[in-house]
Order: sequence, then structure tokens, then C-alpha cells
Amino acid sequence: MHGRVKVRTTEEEVARKQKERQEKLKKFKYAMQKIQGKRNQGELDKELLELTGNVLSSNPDIYTLWNIRREIFTLFLKDDAMLDEMCALYDAELQLTEYCLKINPKSYGAWHQREWVLTTRSDPNWAQELAVCNKYLKLDERNFHTWDYRRFVVSKCKPSLKDEFDFTTEKLHDNFSNYSAWHYRSKMLVALFPDVEGGRPIEDSHHKHELKMVQSAAFTDPDDTSAWFYQRWLLGAVRNSVKLVVVTVTKSKTTLAFNQYVSHDYVKDKIQIVFNKSTIAGDWISCTGNQYDIVWIFKHTETIQDDMEIEVEHDGDNGKNVVGCVKVKPFTFIGKNQISFQKSYSEPVLKELETQLDACRQLLALEPDNKWTLLTTTVFLYCIDAKKYHNEVIENLQALKSIDKLRIGYYNDLITKWCIENQLNNYHGDNSISFKISFDEKISSLPHLQFYSHCENVDLSNQNISSKGLPSLIVLQNCKNLSLNNNKLTTLKGFPSLELEVLDLQNNDLDKSEVDLLKEKLNCNIIF
Amino acid sequence: MAFNTKDVVLKEDRPRTLLLQKHSDYLAGYGLDKDDFEFCMTEYLRMSGIYWSLTAMELMGQSSRMPKDEIIEFITSCQDKESGGVSASIGHDPHMLYTLSAVQVLAMYDRLDAIDVEGVVRYITSLQQDDGSFFGDKWGEVDTRFSFCAVMALSLLHRLDTINVNKTVDFVLSCMNFDGGFGSKPGSESHAGLIYCCVGTLSICKRMDALKADELAWWLCERQLPSGGLNGRPEKLPDLCYSWWVMSSLSMLNRIHWVDKKSLEEYILACQDAETGGFSDRPGDIPDPFHTLFGLAGLSLLGNTSIKLVNPTYCMPQETIDRLKLEPQVLHI
Repeated sequence: MHGRVKVRTTEEEVARKQKERQEKLKKFKYAMQKIQGKRNQGELDKELLELTGNVLSSNPDIYTLWNIRREIFTLFLKDDAMLDEMCALYDAELQLTEYCLKINPKSYGAWHQREWVLTTRSDPNWAQELAVCNKYLKLDERNFHTWDYRRFVVSKCKPSLKDEFDFTTEKLHDNFSNYSAWHYRSKMLVALFPDVEGGRPIEDSHHKHELKMVQSAAFTDPDDTSAWFYQRWLLGAVRNSVKLVVVTVTKSKTTLAFNQYVSHDYVKDKIQIVFNKSTIAGDWISCTGNQYDIVWIFKHTETIQDDMEIEVEHDGDNGKNVVGCVKVKPFTFIGKNQISFQKSYSEPVLKELETQLDACRQLLALEPDNKWTLLTTTVFLYCIDAKKYHNEVIENLQALKSIDKLRIGYYNDLITKWCIENQLNNYHGDNSISFKISFDEKISSLPHLQFYSHCENVDLSNQNISSKGLPSLIVLQNCKNLSLNNNKLTTLKGFPSLELEVLDLQNNDLDKSEVDLLKEKLNCNIIF
Repeated sequence: MAFNTKDVVLKEDRPRTLLLQKHSDYLAGYGLDKDDFEFCMTEYLRMSGIYWSLTAMELMGQSSRMPKDEIIEFITSCQDKESGGVSASIGHDPHMLYTLSAVQVLAMYDRLDAIDVEGVVRYITSLQQDDGSFFGDKWGEVDTRFSFCAVMALSLLHRLDTINVNKTVDFVLSCMNFDGGFGSKPGSESHAGLIYCCVGTLSICKRMDALKADELAWWLCERQLPSGGLNGRPEKLPDLCYSWWVMSSLSMLNRIHWVDKKSLEEYILACQDAETGGFSDRPGDIPDPFHTLFGLAGLSLLGNTSIKLVNPTYCMPQETIDRLKLEPQVLHI
């Protein structure tokens, strides 16, 4: 029951209403009984059409009644005597659905019946249906049933994509706050302007055009959220391909970490492990046991020597990539790929972003506490040059925590993620097998942790990690010494099976019994 | 033109504590009068109504107040012998929605023997299409809600292997939008209720990796309005049931801390009817069992310890999910 306000009335009024309802109920029950009786007797006739139609007119959600009507129509269709009447019956059915949709514009049953009639009759009038959609969208521009129905009609009568794209422009010019129209536009945009050459989601020239349009919408009223979501999407619309980020080979284990989740089939088909110039046979095992994973373990039967040449070949989207491994200590080899979290845009799009950044900064100068302007400025800075603007980005996110208090948790995790990216940009190239947070902000989650899957020593002490981060530690497949000293752990539930030697859990709010249990499970030295 | 955020203002005299006893009384009394107008007019969704009430009672530890034997007998009589599907009520047709509700209720009662399980499996598998989608019933309506119903019901029966899971996942993913959210079919706008269905499907199928987690979770946490309540789409009013659809999705994404728990809890409590018991969509509206379940389940996700732990994927007590040894996936963060 949605949006029905409870109103206080007199006892008399209550009694009157009660009586009225009892009358209604009596009629309803009688009609339902009669309908079911006729159906059980197989009397699928015009009278039953009328009976079900009457009940549906005030109760369009009784799905079984629509089913009965379809059964009747199906039967009529087989009857040659009904041939001349069918067209009128279908028209009447469309009228009934329209009547029902006036009672409840969100009735799944009525919308589906309309679709059924249009796909069943041999003479559908799609132009008329498109007009119905336009009419209903004028009454409620956000009714998702109407938009869905429009997409169904469009899939049948196939107007040009450009027409539909223009329709969204028209709707947005009526009201920029129409998120449904932005949504539909996103679908048209990638279909109309795909970038076939550069492999980006959208053609450059149009990408720029959309950025302009969305900015004028967002600036019309910065408190209206619709356009901001669309803009954030446009900014993120860059290509992201699978990359192998770290390879670790030790006597006990060979692990590969990727920048995104890949399937078992993917690693099996696309990756080759080469020891001393010969390809090694083996099996791939996901570190979590899932079908897709971010760290994969390669099980093989070769003996690891202290002097070996180890290479990993990745047959990626952009051609073959070979990662050579170097020895970082006896019997331990690490291979890394160049990485970058910087989004790459074409020159014209980048120029447009810079222009928009300027505009945002101007708007921000007028209203420094406007959440959306500040957030967008921050996202622009991150997208244009994350490294150069890192400090400003983090300062802005800190400011957003006090402007937009409801979403402090989001900003904390975003600070964590972008600080880790910045640290990775700076240090990913070295061959250290120790990881320690090198910035002042405390991390609250564990993004990109697979980039440290090669590390033996992982120091996550003095952070804000809560127990829900524990399962993420599974990617630390080569870790021996792990410190979670002084975090926000409250339980050890979900702590993964890692082959640790030392685990520091001091200064957390933990139960000793839980620590003892974990000690038994991991069989390692726990400092508590 | 000044832009007005659609929202409500919580009144000073709103309920601020959890009125458990009232809610239990409200649900125990619901439907006792078989001639009640509201009760009769909602017969077409009775099976789901039973699921809402029973789950709410289970979460409050009060399920003994529900007429167990009568409910089980009713479910048995609603199974269609021929198709194997379950209907909303006697005299209505079988449908995916009510087949799931029946399975959920029987799973909570540990009485799955009360229906022909093979029939249910046959019904659900018969509704899967070549593209991986599911019909709601033989009449061909396609919706991601039905994908979720299918995998949830089959997993509760430990029979997920009877459908093409990869195709099921592919279809759901084909409904992903620019904002990382999902709608009811390919091309449909993101909506928190359908996001719950799609994320839930991926959680059961253990393919949470396929989500754009950060984008989606950001969109979800932006559903929180100044009143503390959550809406289901941008620029819409808050509604208590989104406390469930949004918060359960965020729980599966392991990002429940992206919304402000305290103000959401205040909003949920304000939706209680202090006179009759039960929760409504917004403060001051008429309560119903649907919102009563989602209010209680929302509070459970927020960590309220006077309510039993709810499982975010199944919207059933965690103890039932543990008993059935199900482990729906939660994303790492």
C-alpha cells in the first residue's frame, strides 16, 4: 500500500464507509465466484469477458483475470465465426487496459495485457501506440512502465534512433530533472555514436558535445541530482582492458594478480607461464574458489631453482604482453607490469574537461558549500590528472565529509582508494616485498590489495579497517607477516585461510576466544 | 526556479522506539477477519502476504503466533498439479512470484516436503528462455524479478543446477545501465527494487564480481534524503521499503556504511503506526504487512539486536539460511 494517508474521521463516517465497503465486497465476491464457476465449467465466452472486465476495471492487478481473458481470446481466434469480430474485440481490450491504467498507471497486468494484444493481433497500429506513450509520459514523465512500453513499441515499429535521441533532448529541455530521459539518452548515445576506431564507448566529438549539454543542465540547478549522475558516467566512459599486474613465483606458490576479475577460462586461454624458455603445464585455481577472480594460483610440478628465467605471457586485448620476473631474494621471483590509474581521454575531450573544470571552480567560488559542485570539481581534477591534483582532491573529499554528512562512509572509502592509487603510481615499480601505508589518511577499506599479493610483509597497522574488510585479505597469498595492529576490528569472522607466520592483532576490540580459534585455524603466531 | 528536493519532514511526536509487541499484535490480527475488505481485495497476492507476515514474525521471534498448520495446508492446496507452479491463492493461476513465496515460507518452516518439489523445479525450469531470462508464467512477461525468483527458489531447494546459470547471469548483466544499476529488462531504467533483484541473483550465482560495485553503491547511497529515508530512484519521495531494497543491495556489496545509519533508523521508526502497530511507506500513512517486514528487516541490517539477523540476499532469517547451508556471495571491499 503506497502513499495512502491515514485520515481521522468521525465514528459516523467510519460506519458509513464500512457499510459501503461491505456492499462492494459482497458484489466483488459474487463476481469472483461467478467467474471461477464459469471458468471451471469451460464457459469461455463473451459473458465471461464482460464479468472479468468489470472486476478488472476497479482491480487491475488481479492477474488471473487477465489470464482468463487471454484464454478466451485464444479460443475465439480458433473460431471462424468470430473472425469478423476480432478486430473490434482487440480494440475494446486496448480500451480496457487504458481504463485500468487510469486507475493504476503502474499495473503490471494491464501493461502486459496491452503488449500481449499488440503482439497477438495481426493489425497492430504502432504509430497509435507511440502516441499513447507520448500522452502517458506527459501525465507522468517518470513512470518506468510507460518508458518500458515505449521501448517495446520502438522495438516493433523501429523509428530511427536519431528520432528517439531527439525525443530525449526534447524531454530534457522540458525538465532537466527527468532522470528517465537521461537514462534513455545513455542507451541511444552508445548506439548512435559508438567510437569504432579508438575503441572508446562514445565517439570523441559527441562525447564532448554531451559533456557540454550535461553541464548546462547541471548548472541550471545544482541541487537537482539527475544530470550529475549522467555527467559522472560520461567522465568514466573510457576503455579499461584486462591487465596482469603482479606475478609472484616462490618455491611453494605461483600467483598472478590482475587489475580486474577474470574467469578460469580466461587465464587458461590467455596466460602462459614460461620457465627457462619452456612453457609450463599446470592448473589454475582461484584464490577465493570463485569462477571469476582477481588473483589466480598456478599449480605446477616444476621445481623452483634459485637461478631461473621466468616469463609470463599474456595474450591481452592490446596484443601480447610479456612480463619478465626478477629475483628479489633466493628462490623468489617477482614480475610487474607498468600500471596507471590515470583515465586517458582524447585531446579534444581533455580540453573540454579543463574548460568545464574552470566553470566549476567559478561556480564553487560563488557557492563553496554546494555539494554537487564540489564533488564534480573533485571528479574533474581526478579525471584530468590524478597525480598532479592529488592533494587538492583529498582536501576536497575531506571537505565533502562535513558538507554531505550522510555519506561520510563513501568519502572515506574514496579517499582510501585514491590514496592507494597514488601510492601505487609512485611505488609500483620497485621490487620491495614489503607494503606499508605511506600517507597520513587512514584507510577504511582494502581496494587494489591484489597489487600487493607478492608482499611477504604487510603492515596495515594504525588504520580504520573494520571486520568487514577481513575477507579481502585473501589476495595476500604470499604474505608471512601481517599487522592489523590498532584498527577497528570487532570480530574475526571471515578471516581467510592465509599461510601466515606472524599476525599482529593488538589494539582491536576482539574476543580472546575468537583469537584462539583463529590461531588454531591458521597455525601461526598471533600477537594479541 | 528554485529546485525542491522531494522529501518529508519527520514530526516531533513521531515514534522513536521500536514497538515490537504492537507489530506482533498487528500481524497476528491481520486476516483473522476473513471478511475484512482490505484482506479480501488482496487475495491475488495472498501467498506473498503470508511470506511477508511470517518472515516479520520470525524476525521478531513471534512466529508461533502464526497458524502454521493452516498455512502449510493452504500452500499445498495452491500448487498446480499439472505445471507444478504455485498460485497466490485458491482459484488463481500459478506464477513465479507466488511459487517463490511458497518455497520461502516452507523453507522457514522446514517443511519443504509439503509440496511436490519436483513439480516446482519443473515449473521454474520450464520458464527459462533461450536468452537466459525467465517468464513470470506461461503468458510471457519477462522481468529481472522473475530471474531472482527462479534462482532464489531453486537455491533454497538445492536445485540451482537445473537451470542454465551462466545464461541467467548474462541476461541479468544485459540489464545493467550507465549508472551501474539495473532495471526490469534490457534497456529499463535503474530502480532500487530491481537492483536488489539483480544483485541478489548475482549473489546467489556467485558472480558479484561482474558488478560495477563502486558506481552502483554510490548511486545507492545517494538514495538517502535529508529526512534519513531512502528513495528508489533519483528525485523521488522516500519510501520505507527502499530501506530494504537499497540496504540489502549495499550489504551484498559490503558497503552498508555508505549511508547514515542513525538517520535512516529514525526514519524507519517514524514509519511505525503507534496505534495499530505495523509500518507504512511514509510517516502517517496506512500500515501494511509488506512495509512491516521491510521496516523490521531494514532495522535488522542496521544492527538492531532486538530483531533477529536477516540475510540480505534472501530476506529470510539468517538462521534459516545457515540451516540450509547456503552461502550467498558478499563482495570484498
